[in-house]
Amino acid sequence: MRIPKQLLFFAFLPVHISHKTTCYSNDIDIQGGFSYTPDTPQRESVRKRFSLELVICGAPLIDIKHLYKSYDKKPVLADVNLSVRRGSVMGLLGPNGAGKTTLIAILTGIISKDSGAITVDGMDLDRELRSIQSKCSYIPQSFAFYPRLTARENLEYFGALWGMKGKKLQERMEFCIDIGSMQNFVNKRVDKFSGGMKRRLNLAIGLLNDPEILYLDEPTVGVDTQSRGYILETIKKINRDRQTTIIYTSHYMDEIEQVSDDIAVINEGKIILHDNKKAILTRAGDACGHRTLEELFLKLTDIRLRDED
Amino acid sequence: MLIIRDIHAVTVLFIMPAVFILIMSVAMRDLFALHGTVAIEVLAVNQDAGKRSGAFLKAMEELSTFKFQFIEKATDSESIREQMLSRDYKFALIIRQNFSAFVDKKGKGKDERPLELLVNPTVNVQTQMVLKSALDGKLTKLRWDAFIDRIDRLLAVAGIDKKKLKAAEESPIEVNYVYKGGRYDKIPSAVQQSVPAWLVFSMFFIVIPISNTFISEREQGTLMRLKSMNVSRGYLILGKMIPYLIINAIQVIIMIAIGMYVVPLCGGTALTLGKSLRGLMLIAAAVSFSAISMALFIASAARTTEQATTIGGVLNIIFGALGGLMIPKFVMPGFMQEIADISPMSWGLEGFLDIFLRNGGVSDVLTKSLALFVFGIGMLTLTILLLRKRKEV
Repeated sequence: MRIPKQLLFFAFLPVHISHKTTCYSNDIDIQGGFSYTPDTPQRESVRKRFSLELVICGAPLIDIKHLYKSYDKKPVLADVNLSVRRGSVMGLLGPNGAGKTTLIAILTGIISKDSGAITVDGMDLDRELRSIQSKCSYIPQSFAFYPRLTARENLEYFGALWGMKGKKLQERMEFCIDIGSMQNFVNKRVDKFSGGMKRRLNLAIGLLNDPEILYLDEPTVGVDTQSRGYILETIKKINRDRQTTIIYTSHYMDEIEQVSDDIAVINEGKIILHDNKKAILTRAGDACGHRTLEELFLKLTDIRLRDED
Repeated sequence: MLIIRDIHAVTVLFIMPAVFILIMSVAMRDLFALHGTVAIEVLAVNQDAGKRSGAFLKAMEELSTFKFQFIEKATDSESIREQMLSRDYKFALIIRQNFSAFVDKKGKGKDERPLELLVNPTVNVQTQMVLKSALDGKLTKLRWDAFIDRIDRLLAVAGIDKKKLKAAEESPIEVNYVYKGGRYDKIPSAVQQSVPAWLVFSMFFIVIPISNTFISEREQGTLMRLKSMNVSRGYLILGKMIPYLIINAIQVIIMIAIGMYVVPLCGGTALTLGKSLRGLMLIAAAVSFSAISMALFIASAARTTEQATTIGGVLNIIFGALGGLMIPKFVMPGFMQEIADISPMSWGLEGFLDIFLRNGGVSDVLTKSLALFVFGIGMLTLTILLLRKRKEV
């Protein structure tokens, strides 16, 4: 049974938010707000004092506890704790190399974790991966389909891989064609598509199995404003109409602000901020004068470039 | 569908071998025919002081294999060499002044060599041997007949008919080809040799479309999507193998059809199938399995499509050259023939030759097929180990 979203809103009570944040004169100062220097004790102190943590009443749909993952002995995720509400859209923010894609890859069963516990809808990820995967869908940042096939052929192929056939497959395909607004080009080869058309097909393929949980990894990269708007509206519609839980990663703060109910910020493999969007924006503004999510994000994750990472 | 829409794959898998088969079958047609239609032109200078060279040249021209272009009798040796090179003759034959004296065994120069053959360095040894043997044969016959003429009176006294002692015009040797299961009416032709070689070669070129698909899947994130859909490792591998096994089977059918129906239209001999369809299917399946497995290994090991196609292409050419696809193994030196056996293409080629040329059956191709299957399983195991190590499946 799904709990109405409106009721859930009242169930989430942000805690540890009463501490007033302090500005440090020896740190980088941006637009008069508080600031951090990378890897200093002061930064850690500020984070602790600013700590925003979403408290979820009742069992979350996705629950991650003490998750660790490293590549070649280099930690990528370190003690990640995160909960995702059923039926919510959670925006996952983080600079390049922060661990967003790794986290999603673990949640979707693409790669395995080193340690920690993950439950999805009460099921243990290690023991019931197959059941969990059947409820989820992952839409990668890249165009994960076959460019020499038509859009319809791609939908047929991935639908068949989900085990669908006959009338059910046709119905799901029609739904996806409709939601991707692909009626006019569904029989054309995909390598002739524009970036926006490809993005919509990428999204449509991810909706074939009518997922309960949808992982979207930067779904609007390289598209024009119109397509971007359409994709964001579609994501909100899916969440609203089908109560699909969505985990959405993006570099575009305005997108996250637009579609998310909750926001988590990951940096250097750690969740450094997690709360509902309204609380984050309101309290961050109140506490240290940051008016936008982007300002807060830069404060929390440092302004230095991450290319060298 | 992916292959049909990939123009490069279609070119490599279907058009390239089809063109090779047509060109090679027609170009090499006369190499296997008893009487060729193309004569090799020979520059000739007849400096013979006597009359015997006339009969000799007439006998040589009757062979139809060589066509003599005569130049001025007084042309000196240096000038002959210059003309030969400038007019691109492969051979120049100088019939020396002492030719008749040599044949009749009397007169000036009767013990000196009567013929000089100048050879263009580009000519292969086999062709040289053909001309040299023909010259030797006709000269020997001429000398024998001259000898019989010289002992004419003695033979008459002994009551022997000299006509019976003259050398026969036709070769006394009867050539027959030996096949499994008894005699077979057809003689081997260029198409019978070309189809197996280019078929094996093109089947191994499956590495290009496989690596294109495989690496694109990896680079574009499709592999991640498939993994997130809980598509099993076996399905991922089999999903690649089965369509390409079908593609290879279509290649076999098309190449055989070209040999049977298109080559004759271009003036070549029609390909004839052996008697064992099962044997053909077995060796074709074995070649296909090993080619696809090797392609999957290369596609897994390579980081980019360019790497895979380069490594795959170069390996194919090396295996092809070693395996006797480009140069028949029987003309290779002994140690090269032993090295040839390391090439899986060689096992495949020998298997197809068993079927097409030696009229063999399942039992004849069984060992080669097993070797190819074992090679394929080895490649597949390495592929899976590599993908598991990289956590890609």
